[in-house]
Amino acid sequence: MCIIKVCNVTYSYDGTRTVLRNISAEFEAGNMYAILGPSGCGKTTLLSLLGGLDSPTQGQVIFQGEDIMKQGLAYHRKRHVSFIFQSYNLIDYMTPAENVALTSSLPPLPVLESLGLTKEEAKRNVKKLSGGQQQRVAIARSLACDAKVILADEPTGNLDEDTASSIITILKSCAHEKKKCVIVVTHSNDLAKQADVILRLKKGELKPI
Amino acid sequence: MSFLKRAVLYCFRQRLKTAILFLVLTLIAAFLLTSLAIRDGVRKSTAQVQTAIGGKIELNLDTEGHMGGGEQNQWGTAYYYTGDLITQDIVDAIKKVDGVVDYNSEGTGSYYGAGVDFKYLPAAFDLSYTPYGESSSYTATLSSEKCAHFQRGEYKLVDGRHIQPEDSHTCLISKELADYNHLSVGDQIQMYSLDAEDITSFEIVGIFDGTKGTEGNALTVDEIPANCGYIDYATLFELFQDKIDGYDQLTIFVEDPVNIQNVYDRIAALPELKDKTLKLDINTETYDVVSSPLESLEKLIHTTILFISLVGVAVLTLLLTIWIRGRKREIGILLSIGKNKANILFQIFTETLAVTILSFTSSIPLSYLTAEKAGTFFLSKAAAANAGFHVEVQASYLAPFYLIGILLIAISVLASSWTVVCQKPNDILMKMD
Ligand SMILES: Nc1ncnc2c1ncn2[C@@H]1O[C@H](COP(=O)(O)OP(=O)(O)OP(=O)(O)O)[C@@H](O)[C@H]1O
Ligand SMILES: [Mg+2]
Repeated sequence: MCIIKVCNVTYSYDGTRTVLRNISAEFEAGNMYAILGPSGCGKTTLLSLLGGLDSPTQGQVIFQGEDIMKQGLAYHRKRHVSFIFQSYNLIDYMTPAENVALTSSLPPLPVLESLGLTKEEAKRNVKKLSGGQQQRVAIARSLACDAKVILADEPTGNLDEDTASSIITILKSCAHEKKKCVIVVTHSNDLAKQADVILRLKKGELKPI
Repeated sequence: MSFLKRAVLYCFRQRLKTAILFLVLTLIAAFLLTSLAIRDGVRKSTAQVQTAIGGKIELNLDTEGHMGGGEQNQWGTAYYYTGDLITQDIVDAIKKVDGVVDYNSEGTGSYYGAGVDFKYLPAAFDLSYTPYGESSSYTATLSSEKCAHFQRGEYKLVDGRHIQPEDSHTCLISKELADYNHLSVGDQIQMYSLDAEDITSFEIVGIFDGTKGTEGNALTVDEIPANCGYIDYATLFELFQDKIDGYDQLTIFVEDPVNIQNVYDRIAALPELKDKTLKLDINTETYDVVSSPLESLEKLIHTTILFISLVGVAVLTLLLTIWIRGRKREIGILLSIGKNKANILFQIFTETLAVTILSFTSSIPLSYLTAEKAGTFFLSKAAAANAGFHVEVQASYLAPFYLIGILLIAISVLASSWTVVCQKPNDILMKMD
């Protein structure tokens, strides 16, 4: 079942440089999608439109049958989607547990522990964690908030191969076991192969492989 | 997680920033409270000075066109005033006018006396016209306390008492003259008046200081201030019964200088003064001498308060702007997880507010100390006349102080974070990666 889709979306920066051209695509819950494409082709732009960080120049983003503009982008970001960034984007004066608690009122420890962090690590300052550990915290924050769509922009870009594949495994289980719609932007073909659907963004067009 | 909890976490985890903010705000607040305390001290002492000095209205002879045709005598042509004098009737009428608290007449040089049984401090020339040597000048007065020299604080009574309206055959002499002749309060002195051709005895009722030495290049004895004293009017009238039948000057004291014009109008309307060749003027000289330094001090403090407030807001805005630039990522993250602008602004405001309230509170005891110090300092500088000058931080300005402070801080927070918070979340996040 389609949970989020883009309909005839065009996006241009400053009204001149068109990055996305009349793109339409549907994404289903329970699937992990990988978006591949050369640098600068607009992958991050597409994710930010899906996540309501920006609005398209033309076209619509529909979540569960409703234009996300209707309830406001902030509402969409709060309730429907969550982001995982390449640079983790954790708040640095908080512990992992507190970062997770940002988006959820549930106890943060079980989520963190299920992702392999120890109790001690969960109470350390986030700056004192490794990259892989920080990304797990970011994933935990995404999972805790109960959003149905997880948007991950090169989540493994800063990590070594082993850690990267373990993160991808976690994301995949999020899709399959927690029935989330996981959309991952990546440069790695190996990682993309683990996805259920692979899409390629090229010259402003999105095509399945 | 609510913005309150985030704010608390921020304040505790970013201890250095919190400490800097705390220090800056405490200093500004203590400065402001001290300035406010000084301002109120100045206001209070200005009010005290106003009631202490009161206002003055002068009644003088209008000499213009009333000096007669001139009269030949052994010294040349003498002109005598032919207009009206200030009679006792007029004085009695003025006494009863609403708002008049007191009056005095001060006839400088009304009496010239040569020392029969004492000597003046010598001058360059010995001009002895009398059998008893040189004459010095005396001011005839009703109340010596209200004479200009004493009012301005130049002369101070060091022994005995002042001349009062009901006195007769009394005088005040300078400490220097008293010492020169080994005279003291209670002693009788005798003076010869060339005009009255008579020897009169006076009781020394008081001795004053402030004539500033006996040296100098005075030509005649009466040019040495120490040789010049005060006598009562009653004796003068007694001596010159046929020549003097009134005062040539009257100073009227008004309780409230603010309403001096009303009192002036009432006096001017008195039937006793109608068609008399007398001039009535409001005199604010003494009042101005004392209160103008206080007024300029108050102006200075007002400027200081304004200045500190502006500098405070500027420093705070600058500090917050720098810090908020460093918090762009945090703001981007908060926006990306769906926190709205108001929520983020509230967090920053709460952080600043918490520190502000803490600093303001600790600035109160600090300002008590500085206010006291500043009070003693300004007292020594401003020479706030006879009035006391008391500087104290009052509880009454704490409420407005907190309110205005919080308002200014809200402005600072808004000014420093508005541009960042209003950016599209995408712009913030894209520029970070
Ligand atoms: N704020 C912006 N203003 C103007 N142009 C922008 C802005 N952000 C991105 N672009 C341009 O839009 C295009 C797409 O950018 P985008 O970040 O979506 O690419 P990407 O596919 O994510 O690239 P990468 O793989 O390197 O992350 C690029 O050519 C980029 O230069
Ligand atoms: Mg990108």
